[in-house]
Amino acid sequence: MSVTLARIEPSIAGFGDYVALLKPRVMSLVVFTALVGLLIAPGHVHPVIALTALLCIAVGAGAAGALNMWYDADIDARMLRTAGRPIPQGRVTPGEAAGFGLTLAVFAVATLGLLVNWVAASLLAFTIAFYVVIYTMWLKRSTPQNIVIGGAAGALPPIIGWAAVTGGVAVEPIVLFLIIFFWTPPHFWALSLYRAEDYARAGIPMLPVVAGEAETRRQIVIYTLILAPLGVAPWLLGYAGPLYGIASVAGGAAMIALALRVHAERQGHSASKQMFGFSIFYLFVLFAVLLADRLWGGLAAQAVSHFAA
Amino acid sequence: MMVSDAMDETPKTEGGIRLTEQQLRARRSRSVAIALALGAFVVVIFLVTLVKLGSNVLTRPM
Repeated sequence: MSVTLARIEPSIAGFGDYVALLKPRVMSLVVFTALVGLLIAPGHVHPVIALTALLCIAVGAGAAGALNMWYDADIDARMLRTAGRPIPQGRVTPGEAAGFGLTLAVFAVATLGLLVNWVAASLLAFTIAFYVVIYTMWLKRSTPQNIVIGGAAGALPPIIGWAAVTGGVAVEPIVLFLIIFFWTPPHFWALSLYRAEDYARAGIPMLPVVAGEAETRRQIVIYTLILAPLGVAPWLLGYAGPLYGIASVAGGAAMIALALRVHAERQGHSASKQMFGFSIFYLFVLFAVLLADRLWGGLAAQAVSHFAA
Repeated sequence: MMVSDAMDETPKTEGGIRLTEQQLRARRSRSVAIALALGAFVVVIFLVTLVKLGSNVLTRPM
């Protein structure tokens, strides 16, 4: 028996194209928030196991990014922000991206399960599936609530980090989940206010496209009013120090002030652009201070026990 | 192209796919990346084995 093989054009995808498929900027945020979840967790885990967990979470997030680019290649090509991605540019075929993403997802989940624990691995598998199936394939093209519900995927990494150490889930990482969850809508809606034409061209029902600018500005204020007190919660619940308390109160107040400016803005989008930029800084500061707080607290406790001995 | 041809051990120089310089460069960079990823995976498994088993790595029931 002989089978005739179709001639396939050899790939021109280089290393950089595959790195781009992993969405490295999103991945860095995922790793950072997972690291915070991992470090605030009670108990001890060997640094090699902790690094392995972070590596698996990073690869899992990258896999989700590659699968997102595979499925969204058609709308990516129609948006200015995403038209330069490897698939719309023709450097990577959709099939290559799908195979790459699926392989990495399976490897990341299996490795996390076998080397760390299966609770963390199950959460990682759920996060990838939620992002790819629920957000990318379903919500993104069908409802203006896409980034509200889909934001859950981006909010889960601190819980995965916590589960990697404890093998379970508790209130502390759930509060971090809620912070990222309620941060996502004002962050993306601020962006979508000045990129509405881009989203409309791609046929994505973002809130400004479907409900108009006024409603989007109102929703940004509502979500920011929920977000600001949530940001302070780690301090109120006692697992973050006074430095975090000051940073979260000041950052939350600034976020509310910016949201009110966005709400009042009638001409242009300077307030929306400021809100988008500041929201990234706000989330980064919250998690960085929490991280510094924990590292400093750990070092201080070690020093006290050293001198007491 | 036939599968039977592809399985022939003698390399064909005529009629086969000739890679352009760009395709060769891309393939080389992909190959290096796969090698590095596999190497990193081996290192991770090795280190985690040491951490999890420690000196028990040589202890096994006969």
